[in-house]
Amino acid sequence: MLDKIVNGFESFLFRHRIFVILLFMLTTLFLGFQASNLKMDAAFIKNIPLNHSYMQTYLKHQKQFGGANSIMVAVEDTSGDIFNETFFDALKNVHDQLFFIPGVDRAQVKSLFSPSTRFTEVVEDGFAGGPVIPADFSTTEQGLSVVRGNIEKAGIVGRLIAEDYSAAMVSAQLMDFDPQTGEPLDTLAFAEQLEQELRTQFENDEIKIHIIGFAKMAGDVAEGAKGVMLFFLIAILVTAVMVYLFSKSLVLTFLPLACSLIAVIWQLGLLTVVGFGLDPMSILIPFLVFAIGVSHSVQMINAVRRRVADGESTKAASASAFRSLLIPGGIALLSDTVGFLTLLAIDIGIIRELAISASLGVGVIILTNLILLPLVISFTKVSVANTSKDPAESKINQLWRKLSLFATPKYATWVLVITAVLYGLGVQQASLMKVGDLQGGAPALHFDSRYNQDTFYITDKFSITTDVMTVIVEAFPEACTYHSVLNQIDEFEWIIGNTPGVESTASLASVAKRVNAGFNEGNPKWQVLPRTTASLVQAVGRVPTTSGLLNSNCSVMPVYLFLQDHKAETIELVIERVKALSAEMDNDKIQFKLASGPVGVMAATNEAVAEAQFPMMLYVYGAVFVLCLISFRSLRATISVILPLYVVSTLAQALMTQLDIGLAVSTLPVIALGVGIGVDYGIYILSTMAVRLRDGMPVQEAYYEALVERGSAVIFTGLTLAIGVSTWFFSALKFQMDMGILLTFMFLVNMLGAIIILPAIGAFFWRKPR
Amino acid sequence: MLSSMLRFISIFLFAVTLSPSIAIASSDSLSLSNQIQPLAIKSIILDIAVKDETMVAVGERGHIFIFDEKNTPKWRQVLSPTSSHLTKVFFITPSLGWAVGHDATIIHTQDAGLTWQVQMSSPEIEKPLMDVLFFDTANGVAIGAYGLFYRTANGGKDWTPEYHEELLFEEDIAYLAELKAEDEALYLSERSTLLPHFNRIIATNDGRLIMVGELGLVSVSDDKGVNWQKLDFVYEGSLFNVIESNSGFYVMGLRGNIFQAGLELNRWDQVMLPTKSTINGAILAKDGGLRVVGNAGVILDITANGKGELVTQRQGENLVSIARDPQGHIWVAGTKGLFELK
Repeated sequence: MLDKIVNGFESFLFRHRIFVILLFMLTTLFLGFQASNLKMDAAFIKNIPLNHSYMQTYLKHQKQFGGANSIMVAVEDTSGDIFNETFFDALKNVHDQLFFIPGVDRAQVKSLFSPSTRFTEVVEDGFAGGPVIPADFSTTEQGLSVVRGNIEKAGIVGRLIAEDYSAAMVSAQLMDFDPQTGEPLDTLAFAEQLEQELRTQFENDEIKIHIIGFAKMAGDVAEGAKGVMLFFLIAILVTAVMVYLFSKSLVLTFLPLACSLIAVIWQLGLLTVVGFGLDPMSILIPFLVFAIGVSHSVQMINAVRRRVADGESTKAASASAFRSLLIPGGIALLSDTVGFLTLLAIDIGIIRELAISASLGVGVIILTNLILLPLVISFTKVSVANTSKDPAESKINQLWRKLSLFATPKYATWVLVITAVLYGLGVQQASLMKVGDLQGGAPALHFDSRYNQDTFYITDKFSITTDVMTVIVEAFPEACTYHSVLNQIDEFEWIIGNTPGVESTASLASVAKRVNAGFNEGNPKWQVLPRTTASLVQAVGRVPTTSGLLNSNCSVMPVYLFLQDHKAETIELVIERVKALSAEMDNDKIQFKLASGPVGVMAATNEAVAEAQFPMMLYVYGAVFVLCLISFRSLRATISVILPLYVVSTLAQALMTQLDIGLAVSTLPVIALGVGIGVDYGIYILSTMAVRLRDGMPVQEAYYEALVERGSAVIFTGLTLAIGVSTWFFSALKFQMDMGILLTFMFLVNMLGAIIILPAIGAFFWRKPR
Repeated sequence: MLSSMLRFISIFLFAVTLSPSIAIASSDSLSLSNQIQPLAIKSIILDIAVKDETMVAVGERGHIFIFDEKNTPKWRQVLSPTSSHLTKVFFITPSLGWAVGHDATIIHTQDAGLTWQVQMSSPEIEKPLMDVLFFDTANGVAIGAYGLFYRTANGGKDWTPEYHEELLFEEDIAYLAELKAEDEALYLSERSTLLPHFNRIIATNDGRLIMVGELGLVSVSDDKGVNWQKLDFVYEGSLFNVIESNSGFYVMGLRGNIFQAGLELNRWDQVMLPTKSTINGAILAKDGGLRVVGNAGVILDITANGKGELVTQRQGENLVSIARDPQGHIWVAGTKGLFELK
């Protein structure tokens, strides 16, 4: 029945082959044009699990307490002392330059030179104060000493001035829209301006410029992602050489590569059609599409060559290769696609896009490499030396003969014992796998990248951290005029501040206490929340809404937690404690809600990722299981394919523990991708084996035949895929490197699993031939 | 039945034997109502009292710490019956002590600071107590903001308020007299806020009391604080502390103001300091001078001949109290907690 359909389809396609190829060419032109419009897209919102309860809180208050999109520029004097003319000139220039970059909220540019930087001191009859840099400032020794005194009075050391007076900070908030054009701010262009107009212009031997902030990081990530083009070229070249070695024919090298590149073009074009952009994570999909395309093409070439060698014409050989591969190839690709689609279950935009773009790409390969390729080959003249007399071929057959020993009970026992031991070790290691980022700095970038070095510099020299989690206190209008409300916030802040990993905290309550001490002659004995409403209002009234400590009617008051890092354990402990506290303190008037701030987002992401892991594995294995069951109609065959995959997935998790790679948005999909693609090997080998076994052939013999027919293609596939992704080892982006390592491992070891463990299982499953 | 009882008993015994370690474990656990917190020693600490071998410090959130030379760390936080900001602590004997603070709180210990009981707490009057002084184990006074003044004759079992009208300004006395006739309620409310803050009270070696406070208040009492005489003073800012030396007295306060007078208190000379920071705490130095601490982290030495020089300045903290432990080491307390001055 199925054969009839395939045959009918084959004769239809091959009868109209010119027309079909023309159709493919037109589609390629159209999608190629679409692909040329593809944009880099690094939207922040895609990286977060929007439906997570923390993110609901985050989104609800983002407008009021956004403030996440800030930029900090530290100007360092390499001599270690800022009080000199060169430095103050440079600082002023940086301030002015940043002020005029479009997209910067000019009212919020803060540095020594901003008029809002003032000092206040308590005098007998109240407060006195003035700008830290006086109007008549000159860079004379006397002028500088006045500024030094004012700096100390203003209490800005640690914020605007490095704790050791070796650097000063210029900070700014970014607007969401460019005020001149009204368009959303182009983060990447902005980052480029920072690099050009600040760093390049002002950095020299005496002055160093350190820049951090989301916009800068996004820029650096995009910059790093550009290196991918080079990797892609390298992958194509190496693959081309391999295909040539395999096919020993220029034509048969060119056509698979061309068809696979067409698949890549279609995939990229389709992204634009469905309205997606390319982000630094999904930029890796073209590699996969290309590699998968090539590996399936190799099966096709293999089949054609075999038939030509048996004396068929190229056209007939292509047609019969098409017939024989459409079903196993189609199923393999379908299972890839289904494997990727299971990623849709994860509530993180970027992973869903990855799922869709990978599924599109792999789906496209069915058309380009299983249909277009044999059609195009049928126009060429493939000449092949008689393979059976080829000495190299018989050498390979000897290898297959040796490998087939794995299907004998004696060797199979050993293989299975070793596999079991490896699995045991793997499970133990995998259980230690960490969630989230395991290193400091921006996780997307390498530890030694400029951006991360700048981050370390700034967090070291200033009492500033980028690892901020915000707990949002939701109360009622004018809540901050009630002693009881602020007192609860104060209690909360105190207890949470005592949690290991929390370095410092800030809230309206603690600031109001300091203001109250200020109103009482700076006396620490008055650093309390006044019980008198009038005094409380007076204290709170000194805190502007721009401080981010309260909203306009003070019904919402965030508590900021500055953490020592954003390692998963740190985050988990703080989250656990916040939950315990809010369970104790929440009532119908006041609620402590998780979470905002960069670490709040990370916490939600970590939780979403950790929660998604099990269901994702379940879905991907479920999908693969069902597909295998349908295609083999045998439970034993299905288990033989899936068991090795499962062992390898576990080993991949153990590898993550070993290499300190945490489970993150970028590494979560790797197992699904690895399983989805890794199942191909098993399907190809077992589809031949199953036919032989059904005919009553002993396991070892059936496996040998499968190796002869598919073995070299399977090994070749494993190598091609591994080469494609292993170029990512050299990526400037840390997560691409992590993905590269893990995918290379999955592709290679899955291949080994299919040719070593699979036959060993088979040896026991089909001990007695029918 | 019997077996279940045995089990219960064994569990009970188990729990009893374990209880000390449980108490320690919970000190750094997630127990939320627990006062004992790792950062308490680094939070605001406002006073250190020394009496022979006893040394106790108090601070924000009702925190209390006791000192033991033989322990590491030397300071240990103990449970407190209050969460009010404690401003001052005083010991009449090594075991009997009192601490006072916001919400007109007074707490008492009879075991050198190990355990404490509340004697008074009146959050509703919205005024803090700033100092406490006992003349013997039964008689003492507690003073505070807006002229707050309490007296006890039974070791603090009962505290009776006193109103020291004699410390009002002349014009305020007249204003109050006028008001009393017109509006009794307003009179009472005004009366309760017109007195200056009383910040510090000490007993002199010759049996007098000296109390200093807001608006350049320096007052003397010869009858244990029943009647006060306000001294003419050259400075109108707040005074936070007074200390007796071999040859007289020093008062100190806002913006680096320190004044020195002889035992008869008739002439005040200003000590010139190289800082404008408020001075809060002081101890006598061996040479008859002082070592003082203040806001903006200043630590200064005042020589016997009235000269001040900066010893060191700590960034980002205000220093409030300074004390010498029984071994002669100096401890300083402030907005970032306790530390030893080396």
